Amino acid sequence: MSAVTEPRTPRLSANARRRLTHGGFIALAVAYVGILVIAPLVGIAWAALSAGLSTIWETLRQPDVLHAFYLTGVITVITVIVTSVFGVIVALVIARDRFLGRALMSAFVDLPLAVSPVIVGLMAVVLFGLGGWFEPWFSAHGIQILFALPSMVLVTIFICIPFVIREVVPVLKEVGVTEEEAARTLGASSLQTFFRVTLKNIRWGLLYGIALTTARSIGEIGAVLIVSGSITGQTETSTLYILRAFDQNQDQQGYIVAITLALVSIALLIAIEVFKNRQERLRRP
Amino acid sequence: MSTQTLERPAVPSPANPGTGPRRSVVLRETLARWGLRGTAILYLGLLIALPTIAVITKGFSDGLQSLKDALQAPGAREAILLTLALAGTCAIVNVIFGSLIAYVLVRYEFPGRSLLSTVVDIPFAIPTLVTGVMLRALYGPNSPIGGFLEAHGIHVIFAQLGILLALLFVTLPLVVRTVQPVLLELDEAEEEAARVLGATRWYTFRRVVLPKLRAGIAGGGLLAFARAIGEFGAVVIVSGNIIGKTLTAPVLIFQLASQFQPNEAAAVATVLFAISFVLVLITERLIGGRRAAG
Amino acid sequence: MPRIRASLMAPLSAIALLAAACGTSSADAAGDSNANCTPAESPIVTVTAYSNVYDTYGKLISTFQSDWKEQHNDQQVQFSTSFGGSTTQAQNVVSGFPADIAALSLTPDVDLIKDAGLITHDYTQDPEGSFVASSAVVFDVRPGNPLNIQNWGDLAKPGVEILTPDPASSGGARWNIVAAYGAAMRGEVPGYAANDPADAERLLTDIFKNVTVMDKSANDSIKNFQAGNGDVAITYEYAVLAAQAQGLPDEMVIPPSTVAIQTPTVVIDKNAQAHCVQDVAAAFVDFLHTDAAKEIFTDVGYERSTDLKAAQSGEKGTFEPIDDLFTTDDLGGWDQLDKTVFGPEGAFTKALAAAQG
Repeated sequence: MSAVTEPRTPRLSANARRRLTHGGFIALAVAYVGILVIAPLVGIAWAALSAGLSTIWETLRQPDVLHAFYLTGVITVITVIVTSVFGVIVALVIARDRFLGRALMSAFVDLPLAVSPVIVGLMAVVLFGLGGWFEPWFSAHGIQILFALPSMVLVTIFICIPFVIREVVPVLKEVGVTEEEAARTLGASSLQTFFRVTLKNIRWGLLYGIALTTARSIGEIGAVLIVSGSITGQTETSTLYILRAFDQNQDQQGYIVAITLALVSIALLIAIEVFKNRQERLRRP
Repeated sequence: MSTQTLERPAVPSPANPGTGPRRSVVLRETLARWGLRGTAILYLGLLIALPTIAVITKGFSDGLQSLKDALQAPGAREAILLTLALAGTCAIVNVIFGSLIAYVLVRYEFPGRSLLSTVVDIPFAIPTLVTGVMLRALYGPNSPIGGFLEAHGIHVIFAQLGILLALLFVTLPLVVRTVQPVLLELDEAEEEAARVLGATRWYTFRRVVLPKLRAGIAGGGLLAFARAIGEFGAVVIVSGNIIGKTLTAPVLIFQLASQFQPNEAAAVATVLFAISFVLVLITERLIGGRRAAG
Repeated sequence: MPRIRASLMAPLSAIALLAAACGTSSADAAGDSNANCTPAESPIVTVTAYSNVYDTYGKLISTFQSDWKEQHNDQQVQFSTSFGGSTTQAQNVVSGFPADIAALSLTPDVDLIKDAGLITHDYTQDPEGSFVASSAVVFDVRPGNPLNIQNWGDLAKPGVEILTPDPASSGGARWNIVAAYGAAMRGEVPGYAANDPADAERLLTDIFKNVTVMDKSANDSIKNFQAGNGDVAITYEYAVLAAQAQGLPDEMVIPPSTVAIQTPTVVIDKNAQAHCVQDVAAAFVDFLHTDAAKEIFTDVGYERSTDLKAAQSGEKGTFEPIDDLFTTDDLGGWDQLDKTVFGPEGAFTKALAAAQG
């Protein structure tokens, strides 16, 4: 260890040097984020707006586009409901319950994060496609899974499973069971305890998870591309519409729908930031 | 703070005098516990375990030989190598800049700091396909910037640079939000103490700060890498699918899957999936359940 | 007993959700094909088509819809469409894709659907043998044709980068291969002997040595070319004409000898009956053979006549005349070609292995 003494030079120059370095770092960080993230956003805004307001209005009124928005909405709503309800249950089990295989369960929850969406689509094909594990049963009962809404919902759910769970588990762990036990001693039933105490405690984490799920579900492309068959007006989501627009030389329409999705996502982002801040504030008083 | 199990039976109180011998109360608690556990197991088992096993079984359906054959399919090896190379580059670049951004966000106060923080999160929210579309709008041959670059021989769209930009975009928040909590936890007091005791700034950084940072940086880099190897939506719009040059593994899997060659697709998918899963597990080990602050 | 109810609620709701999902699915399902069906007020017909006819079928469908509305008391018929590589679309139908009409690139893809039992009538007896239009395999080159590509042999020159789709998914890809094979076999390619399968295979090997990427559909392939990749794309004549109409710089070269691409459109009986739209579907396919439809094919789709003589001559100036326009029948038909070209010992199979080896 060498002893260091600050040279007896005027403090200003040492400070100024430090401030310059710090300023440099900040500038570099801002430049990187500007070029990588902001520039493309500006690019798509320009591409979409250069089509002119009337084209924009016309495009957004097309039945294909409206149906695509509608389909994305339906899939998102179902996904959010399923992954929230069951996500909270799984989170309760992981955070509170102690049993053999809990670590395995936790690993399974993380699994969809590691899987490329095209692999998820492939899973659906293996299970429900011709010669698939479940295909004979569904065919015999005349139920359409692939190339129809059910498979699109299933793959989106698979992909979104981790979000709610991973946000709620740490909150449950931190909050602990003391409040719930107190409620129970005071005579509340399990259900009352859950709704009045547990749910209140996890609400910001849950909302954050739901916002993440919504954003991910709106943006899903890889898996639904494989399972949907891209039937315009029937199984074409907003993202699938964008893909087809570029395929069929309708670039402007593609940019317009894309920027619509981008704006919705940014609105969600603001919600995400709000929920995240509330959650952090609760966790670190 | 301890996590308690549900085994503790409810304490009888004046409001709830208990409706029978203790055994029935314990029984009800056990039923509740198994009800929840059962649902969780059913939910995860049906929706996650089952499809995963199905794909892996399909990939190995003709034994290891089929796996080797599938990996020798035209373009498979190139696609996997290209994917690993691009993802690796992306992870390294974003570890450098992501750590810098995290450092700037944690240590400095400056106007626009919270705006920068929000912008970093944008890739979390934007659909990946829209990311590809944005890059195409900005760097495609029809845009002023794209035209300018093309004229100088720099190809972005339908070239590896475009894929790299797409991967950098989607993985940036992963790195930043993984390194940030580590930086936050670093106690400045330790650094101060070391400095007061006479250590140089560089020595302090090397012996006090860096070891703690390493776990966070490694975790962020691994997460970025795992995410990048699986990226499809952003890549499919910008890549052009040229075997050996711009065809990545996820796009190849997509082509195979949509041509109903599930065995080949499953084989390539299994390789990709094994790599990612291991990486995510390692990352969890390194950084645990920490969540990033805003 | 609230506690027991609470603990059972979770698994019960899981089962309920599953049942609800199944319930909704059967409501949307194809339905029992044996039941007497009542046509919907506004029937929906699903068409699965190959990749680059979206403009053509868009126009055809809207014309048919307004005609039908006039003739059927203002009834609005809806069409859902899906476009992709011809073989992939056919395989999708076999896998359960609920298409009522298949507008595919070549008859073997229709046979895929027929062999699965979904087409119950002999479609080769349909008007014009089920063919609704005809085109030709051509070369799409860069402005000015810098590499001076005129014939199939020029594609074999070293250093030429070729784009052609993947025959596993694209019908157009197989047309391209058959065109090269046929031209060689007919002795129209200098340097390759006529009626010599070994020489035809040699041509294919030389060509595929120069292929840089095999996209999953003809549309993807030409778009890739237009994005700046490759020196030449082998594609449908009308795809190049459509690009030129949009002001793109694609330049077309028609080789002296090429195959007539004959595209079939067929009603998928089982699905159409199950969806109760067999009348509308049949009417639409019939419409495709009318003069009005043929005009749309030529105008929007620039597709040649199904009459081979007229197609070859260029139909009084609408198209360029072609020296030698042959059909798959001249080569023995698709059954023969499936063996001699695409079979395990086929010319293309061996050529691809040699080119990539």
